[in-house]
Amino acid sequence: MIKSRVGFYLFLAVLMASPCAFAMSGRDVYEKVQEVRERGLDRKTEATMVLYDRGGGKRTRTLTEYGRNASPEAYKVLVVFNSPADLKGVGFLIHAHTFADRDLWAYFPEYKRVRRIPTASQDDSFFGSDFSYDDFSGPPNLNDYTYKILREETFDGKPCYVVEVKPKIRRKYTSYIAWVAKNLWVHTRIEYYQDKELYRSGAFRDIRTIDGIPTPFKIEMENHKTRHRTVLTVGNIRYRTSFPNELFSQRALERGGK
Amino acid sequence: MKKALVVTMLLAVCASTGFAEDFLSVSGRLNLRGVIPLNNNSATEYPSLLGRVKIDTTPPTWKFHLWLEGGWDGSVDLPAHDHSVLKTWDEVYQSTTPFLEFKELYGAYSTDILEIRAGVQRFSWGRLDEYPVNDLLNPWDYTQFLRKSLEDRKIGVPSLSARVSKGDWNVEAVWVPILVPYRLPLPTERWAGSTEITALADQPGVEVLTREPDLPARNLKNSSVGVRLQNTGPVEWGITLFHGYDPRPVFKATTLVVTPESGQLVVDPGIVPDFHKMSSFGLDVAAVKGDWSFRAEAAYAVGRYFNTQRELWGYPSDITPGRYDLNPNEHKSDTIEYGLGVDYRLFEDCLLTLQAQQTVILNRPETLYDRKFETLFWANLKNGFLNQKVETNLNLAYNPEHGDTMAKANAWYVFTDSWKAGVTAVAFWGPSQSLFGRYSKNDQIEAEVIFSW
Repeated sequence: MIKSRVGFYLFLAVLMASPCAFAMSGRDVYEKVQEVRERGLDRKTEATMVLYDRGGGKRTRTLTEYGRNASPEAYKVLVVFNSPADLKGVGFLIHAHTFADRDLWAYFPEYKRVRRIPTASQDDSFFGSDFSYDDFSGPPNLNDYTYKILREETFDGKPCYVVEVKPKIRRKYTSYIAWVAKNLWVHTRIEYYQDKELYRSGAFRDIRTIDGIPTPFKIEMENHKTRHRTVLTVGNIRYRTSFPNELFSQRALERGGK
Repeated sequence: MKKALVVTMLLAVCASTGFAEDFLSVSGRLNLRGVIPLNNNSATEYPSLLGRVKIDTTPPTWKFHLWLEGGWDGSVDLPAHDHSVLKTWDEVYQSTTPFLEFKELYGAYSTDILEIRAGVQRFSWGRLDEYPVNDLLNPWDYTQFLRKSLEDRKIGVPSLSARVSKGDWNVEAVWVPILVPYRLPLPTERWAGSTEITALADQPGVEVLTREPDLPARNLKNSSVGVRLQNTGPVEWGITLFHGYDPRPVFKATTLVVTPESGQLVVDPGIVPDFHKMSSFGLDVAAVKGDWSFRAEAAYAVGRYFNTQRELWGYPSDITPGRYDLNPNEHKSDTIEYGLGVDYRLFEDCLLTLQAQQTVILNRPETLYDRKFETLFWANLKNGFLNQKVETNLNLAYNPEHGDTMAKANAWYVFTDSWKAGVTAVAFWGPSQSLFGRYSKNDQIEAEVIFSW
């Protein structure tokens, strides 16, 4: 009897010491992250992107992003560049029917034509920055990934779950490791790997709670292969915007969201 | 037009002083360009300094939009033929430098579903690049043909348009009350190409006159209209109807007149640009499948005109003083035009675009230069490097019926948000009457510096 009790406690001790001992699973963490993302879908963001190349050169882009929770479909996003002059009026539009199925369109005023673009380019550089199109494309489909909590640690003064996320479908990266702030359920750091090689990383700083939604106001993304980095600073963000469907049409894309 | 220019200048001053910062959005660019011709016998081109200003009011319901271009155009044969500064809608030959041109100038009223625009507008209908067969509302400026992009070639037309958008449906109707003619270079200018007239102009001691055509009367009957219905579902499609003047150049042969004057021959070549009404019924589709983006369009045109082979126009072998009646050189036929374009992303920042299109002349006599089937293949490889600080483009075009080709390569380097510089090389091959072959003296290298704000 005593032997069996000792065995039971030993089993519990081993269980608690193993990764399964975390109060949440990696999937649970990302369901919380997704919940925060979905609450923030109705929004208008004005942001500035500064691109720094390794030679010290600097380019600045300003953009406005409009988002809408498109229930029963997933969401709609319209992004329009306001500067520099070469990019002014350039935009792209996303209709996400589900979190896994999206239609993308791009508009270049130079050609005066809206063009459908394949989703295959979602991991490509977003207009020369170190962000990808996917970073601007709304929440992902949780079922397209596997999640594993690696550890808990503090980053930037915030206690975080460190979660390894692996895509089940072909992506430019083989995995990413994300630091997810406990209780806020937003990323504070992210590292993208191609096999075991780190190629892109980002830090999410100046996290403020706007309308109950934790929002990073400064995101620094760096490409470790090219040593190019981009700093995105949110100038203004407004949630619960309830934009009409017409704002997410090809006509609105051509008109720069106006 | 002069009043519009004064208003433009006032708006630009207001915007530059910050007076109307919340009301106006202003952007612009300056472009300095130089050309090195690669053929010894080609026409001279001087450096060009061109500017562009765009002004938009920001309130969404009532909107004003202006796109003004101007500057010193080095491709104009000096002294300039026409000294008016503002480009007009009355003339085919407008070789003038310095110049100003309203590419777009309109007012718009918008609601959630309706947009009405009135003024000088350019439209982009259809799906294909370079020669969209349903894009017939704007004539082209051929004075620097093939060195300008499709959108830069388009001449803004005074027009009234209305667009209704509801859900996945869009309907747009356009009325162009007057005929705006296409523009052509003078026979002595760089982009005149090889024509019967330029062959005369190349002869020593010959001065060639260019005659403006008599434009059709500017009345309601001679206006042009277009309607486009578009659906933006999973497979996007559109239907286009157009009835109006064919924007593509065709020439009428009349009488060749050769007159001796002050020791040289003055030649009126008896070839004038001609304008004909036509109707076109078109269909276009676009879809994405996997990594491929597809675009296709087709049009059935009723009553297009084509020119016969130049050898049949009746030009004498030796140019001697006298009058020579030329042969009728136009032929009317219905056509079917169709094309398919695909985009494929080879790797990050590298896009391959392929396009094939064909024109079928349904009632073609043997006298036409154009074959019953005229095909064009286009390929473009666009590549970005160093986070799009460097962009390269390689463009190839080939017409198998006549064996003519164009190859163009360019590279751009972005220094800052405002400054960029680029080099473009272009070469042409083919018979002298073919689309690309007529520019076989125009092989060139071009350097540009652009400042934008």
